[in-house]
Amino acid sequence: MIMTCKVLLICLSAPLVSGMIRKMKNIVRMRKGPGILQPYCDLMKLFSKEEVVSKNVSWIFYASPAIVFSSGISALLLILIASPGYQDAGSFAFLIAAFFVLGLGRFFQALAGIDAGSSFGGMGSSREMFISSFAEPAAFISIFVLCVSGPGTPVFSFFLAAAALFMVILAETSRIPVDNRETHLELTMVHEAMLLEYSGPSLGLIELTGHIRQMIFFTMLSWYLFPVARAGSLGWILFGLRIMAIILAVALVEVSVAKMRLFRVVDFLSFAFFIALVASIAAGLGV
Amino acid sequence: MIIGIILGCFLVSTFLLVIAKRITALVHAFRMQSVFLFLYTLYMSIGQQSTELFAVCALVLALKVVIIPLVLMRITRRINTEEDLGLLINPQISLVVAAVLAYLSYLFTYNAMGLAHSSASIAFVASMAAASIGFFLMVSRMKALGQVVGLLVMENAIFLAASVITGGMPFFAEIALFFDVLVFVVIVEVFVYKVNRLFTHIDTSKMQSLKG
Repeated sequence: MIMTCKVLLICLSAPLVSGMIRKMKNIVRMRKGPGILQPYCDLMKLFSKEEVVSKNVSWIFYASPAIVFSSGISALLLILIASPGYQDAGSFAFLIAAFFVLGLGRFFQALAGIDAGSSFGGMGSSREMFISSFAEPAAFISIFVLCVSGPGTPVFSFFLAAAALFMVILAETSRIPVDNRETHLELTMVHEAMLLEYSGPSLGLIELTGHIRQMIFFTMLSWYLFPVARAGSLGWILFGLRIMAIILAVALVEVSVAKMRLFRVVDFLSFAFFIALVASIAAGLGV
Repeated sequence: MIIGIILGCFLVSTFLLVIAKRITALVHAFRMQSVFLFLYTLYMSIGQQSTELFAVCALVLALKVVIIPLVLMRITRRINTEEDLGLLINPQISLVVAAVLAYLSYLFTYNAMGLAHSSASIAFVASMAAASIGFFLMVSRMKALGQVVGLLVMENAIFLAASVITGGMPFFAEIALFFDVLVFVVIVEVFVYKVNRLFTHIDTSKMQSLKG
């Protein structure tokens, strides 16, 4: 019962988090910007629209939004099983499984990007896979930090792992140093290029999954930055505050950093990988 | 808790020095590392309530965060060289080497001190790792400025290690060290400027043979 509430709450609040990040960026830039509920309006608009589909697509194009959405939901369930409070010895395996399930969703999204045969879709897919192939090792190694750390809260290794995971999150949720969500400029877009062919409810489903994926990553980051778990209503309030802190960090990074060239992303993410490696060594030796 | 985060930032900024490809980025990363060194000393001095440590802290802020990076940037502007650092080893492989060095310093600390989870052992790990990475920077960067920054990183690391092991050196020793570093940087500035005028570059790998 509690689990169901959690899943529903996280799914429903996921667009709000995106809206808050956007609002915060606009406040820092001294702009007004849309309200924090704008993502909900966008989703409602998309779901009520008619869908236009290219004649040249195969079944993959139709199946992908559903697969992407279900992979996002399953990953959310998996990480909630492994969250602090529910943990037992084997539950870290669910975390790794969650990443693979998210990978399945990304695989189908990339296929759907190629499927329509437009030049931008293929470019977006290849770039997305290029970035994710560098992001995934770093994400896995920083998960291992959580797995190998013994009793107590080793702040040092957790913090290093959190730094690595934060960089991975910027890449995975297509944030500014790696990708830019707000632009549809053909030379720079990565994630958006892959979704160009989608419209209407399918696009809405994929966008909703994007919000949920972001929430999954933020939840995981919050375990590293604030390792102490609380139960009950205090736990919920603390969870909200933690997510708020992460939102603030992401928004500040996004307004203060310039977007990188695509091939600089390799340096960025390999940096994350080695920080995570050092963190896992520290956790393994118990420092 | 706070000390772990500060030292984590210190180590991350040390890794930033390794992936820097340009002189400006290197100096910025050095400044960032010095900021975390300053925060560490500030935390220590608040904990111990000692006036001398506060003075040392102010010196770190003035010298390592403000003056030395400014001097380094001024040399870069004056000699008007290209930004490239002359990497003997590319950033990715450098990161591998730096991770190995960090591992060795963990191992060393683990065997020598054996203090798991204590803030002293974490600080010692961070300082050992930074010292060896600074040494690695000196070896693997061909431009004179990269080597200077490597030496300054080692100096930062040794400062951290000294403050961990001794719990604050005598005040006069600290002051002497700071002026040593300041004089070193000023001399290096003049020296690099002269080298650049004489040879029209500051690439030490091209200075192996005698010039006729």
